[in-house]
Amino acid sequence: MRRENLDFQARVDALRPVNASKHLDFFGKLLMDNREMTIWEHDTRLLPAGARIWRRRAKDFARRYIRPDAARADSRPREYDPRPIISQAARKGFQTLLLALPLGTAFPGSYFLKSASFQVAVVAEEFAVESGGIALLLMAHHLGCAPLILSGHTPTILRHLLPLYARTLKGKPEIMAFAITEPGAGSDVEETEGGAKARLVTTARQVDGGFVINGRKCFISNGALADKVTLFAKLEGEGLESWTCFLIEKGMEGYSIGRQEHKLGQRASDASELILDDVRVPNRNVVGRLRSGWANNRNVLNYSRPVVGAMALGHARGAFESALKFCRNTMLGGKRLIDYQDIQIELADMIVKLWSARALIWHSCSQFRCYQSASAAAKVAASDISFEVCTKALEIMGDHGYLESSGAERLWRDSRLTQIYEGTNQINRLAVIEHQWVEITAGSDDRD
Amino acid sequence: MDLSLYAREGEREFVELTRSFVRKSVQPLFGDNAPDGDLGMVPSILDTAFEVGLAASPHSGMPGFEYGIWGTSADNPEGVRLSAILLSVVAEACPGIAMNLHVQGLASRIITSSKGSFPEPPVRVATALQEGHTLPGFRAVLGQGRGSDDGIGTRALPTEKGWAITGTKSFVYSMEKADAFLVFCRIEGRSGKEDTGCLLVPADATGLKLQDIGGRTGIRACRLSHLILKDVEVSSECRFLPADDFPLMGQALCLHWLGISAMAAGNASGALKAAREYAATRYQGGAMIEEHPAVRKLLALSEARVEAAFALLVQTCSFAGGNTDFLRRCAIAKLMTTDWAFSAVTDALQVFGGYGYMEDYCMEKRLRDAIVLKSAAGSRNYLEAFISDAARGEI
Ligand SMILES: Cc1cc2nc3c(=O)[nH]c(=O)nc-3n(C[C@H](O)[C@H](O)[C@H](O)COP(=O)(O)OP(=O)(O)OC[C@H]3O[C@@H](n4cnc5c(N)ncnc54)[C@H](O)[C@@H]3O)c2cc1C
Repeated sequence: MRRENLDFQARVDALRPVNASKHLDFFGKLLMDNREMTIWEHDTRLLPAGARIWRRRAKDFARRYIRPDAARADSRPREYDPRPIISQAARKGFQTLLLALPLGTAFPGSYFLKSASFQVAVVAEEFAVESGGIALLLMAHHLGCAPLILSGHTPTILRHLLPLYARTLKGKPEIMAFAITEPGAGSDVEETEGGAKARLVTTARQVDGGFVINGRKCFISNGALADKVTLFAKLEGEGLESWTCFLIEKGMEGYSIGRQEHKLGQRASDASELILDDVRVPNRNVVGRLRSGWANNRNVLNYSRPVVGAMALGHARGAFESALKFCRNTMLGGKRLIDYQDIQIELADMIVKLWSARALIWHSCSQFRCYQSASAAAKVAASDISFEVCTKALEIMGDHGYLESSGAERLWRDSRLTQIYEGTNQINRLAVIEHQWVEITAGSDDRD
Repeated sequence: MDLSLYAREGEREFVELTRSFVRKSVQPLFGDNAPDGDLGMVPSILDTAFEVGLAASPHSGMPGFEYGIWGTSADNPEGVRLSAILLSVVAEACPGIAMNLHVQGLASRIITSSKGSFPEPPVRVATALQEGHTLPGFRAVLGQGRGSDDGIGTRALPTEKGWAITGTKSFVYSMEKADAFLVFCRIEGRSGKEDTGCLLVPADATGLKLQDIGGRTGIRACRLSHLILKDVEVSSECRFLPADDFPLMGQALCLHWLGISAMAAGNASGALKAAREYAATRYQGGAMIEEHPAVRKLLALSEARVEAAFALLVQTCSFAGGNTDFLRRCAIAKLMTTDWAFSAVTDALQVFGGYGYMEDYCMEKRLRDAIVLKSAAGSRNYLEAFISDAARGEI
């Protein structure tokens, strides 16, 4: 290297804040954060102790167990056997996070100070960095369990959830799924005004000792795999306001799996049609009260949308990490790509977006109860950001980006789904604004 | 909502011919369940494209020599515009098939427009422009490269009979049965504009290997490979020189970017049409979804972007000629149209809700094709730098 270059490099080194801070006073140094650590580590240390532990465990699990399966589960989903990874996740406590210790595995501090979704969201991000499909496989289970808890119905929790959690903790997991969508009612079962006009087919008729259910559900994640499904049906002769949640079990007579979808991404988890042909469901499998299904469903969405946002964030972080590695390893014109200022700006923009998404997600589940506007906002922001960041990651790699070997291509496909499920982002925006339909004065500064 | 609306009197018959080719030959590709159609049908579809004269060829005996896509008639702005329109019509049905016709036409155009005395031109050809991660920069394209760092590392050494070529060209799109490749390389011992060469390398030349690229997200109906050349000997007749002052690589990039823009716009227009149809039939929220402002917004923005892409493309074609201004405009067209087209496709897909994510309506395929067209042949960062260099060079 030429002498001027050496001098220049030495000056640059001296001017780096971490080196320049040597000249500060003791307290000045103390007030300057010069810790050499990744953004991930910085964020992890912000978390309360319990969530911090789960974040570290989830990252480790994702690298050890999800990463090796990710490409195979995507390219050959029908041949991929998900049971081993589900059992492994269950043994490590990832499948029982909706209840706090000792009934489940969530840490009580974070569970009661934040929301039940918080630790799940923290884990979801880590899983989704490696694979959208496997993350969905593991997360859809929580979605299926959520109506049992959020029904607030003690008999349901005692009869169904606690035994299920106990078996799961023993390493014999039962897989759950959640079924609201019908062929003629997708957005309509996620939105208030649409709900009032929904054309539903799945109907429960009361009979002696229980109900007989007929109808169809579609696009159900883990539908074919699930041992049990929390499924919503209207009562005969009534509308959506009569919606009731039922626990459907594999093997019930008349219950079968129909079409399994071929989808762009998140392929490790099946998206299936559920067919109900005179399925007899005993009274003990009614989840919560009759006609409490609509409220329960809406609240499930409040708790699950931050988790979907976290999955979206994970896909984007994974794609970003691939792009960053590519920019560090690829030479152009005698320099690494990352040494070009325009590339630095692109990468920095991606970091800014990832960070803002994470901030909103963590904010949205930072209270004991999840709040509709905040949850929907987190889902919209994170999924839009995710697809944007994934697209940028592919673009920055040029032709290498769209190759399956890029690492980012699969996550880019996975990411697109997060703008669609748990309500399209259009429907989620309507959920954000629903609280503003009427003027609310509590907490407002308006003194008139 | 269709680039063919820009076709003039006398050009409509070509559009109709192309539509009929699409109906009869391309659409049956999507009969089965495969996400990209039955790719086994691609060779016969391309044979038909040659027969009906839609695929150009440098071989004067082929029907598409003159009026095929980027055939010899594309030597003026009108001809360039017509080729772009035809390409977009094919891409509306399948961008992968369009890519085959595009790369074939592009290489044919370079051969037929340059000074070269190759005795028996090949029928199927492709162009190898890129190396490593990206295309050569603005200066290298104009023959003002800075030596080893300008993105052209492939070398041609003079031999007794011609040249011996060594190097690797990356991301070469070609027809499955290409007879030859136009390889852009550095000619040893020459300087200035003379030092960048365009040599025709037969596909069966000793020392030439096609390396498969592995799985990729879109444009799967067109072959994509790296060309590895190790002391590949070609005769002195294999070198093509520009007929005028403007370097062949510049000409190639102009058409390459225009073609990709046209395909991106065609793909987006297909997505938009499908979304409109779907929105008129899907009932949700008490009405057909086309009634909901949220859906109307998606459709309107998608339409605005498709129209903007068409307009920019057609305007760019009107400047067609062998000069750096056109080259700069083509880079701008590629940058903007592929971006608009991508946004238009993703908005159109959103109109389908969950069904857009499934293979059934082909919307997921359109999205995969759209991202490839956006990232291929010059990433956003590359194009921005190129445009900025070109603009500075002009001053
Ligand atoms: C891979 C996958 C997995 C899924 N997993 C599950 C699952 O596990 N369980 C489950 O129950 N469901 C699941 N879903 C269903 C998912 O939640 C729905 O797809 C989603 O809510 C959209 O419904 P839809 O597909 O019927 O689209 P539609 O409701 O038909 O929407 C089509 C378009 O119209 C718009 N639109 C509709 N109504 C209105 C309105 N009133 N106002 C404005 N715009 C409107 C939408 O925003 C969208 O753009 C899954 C879907 C997919 C794709």
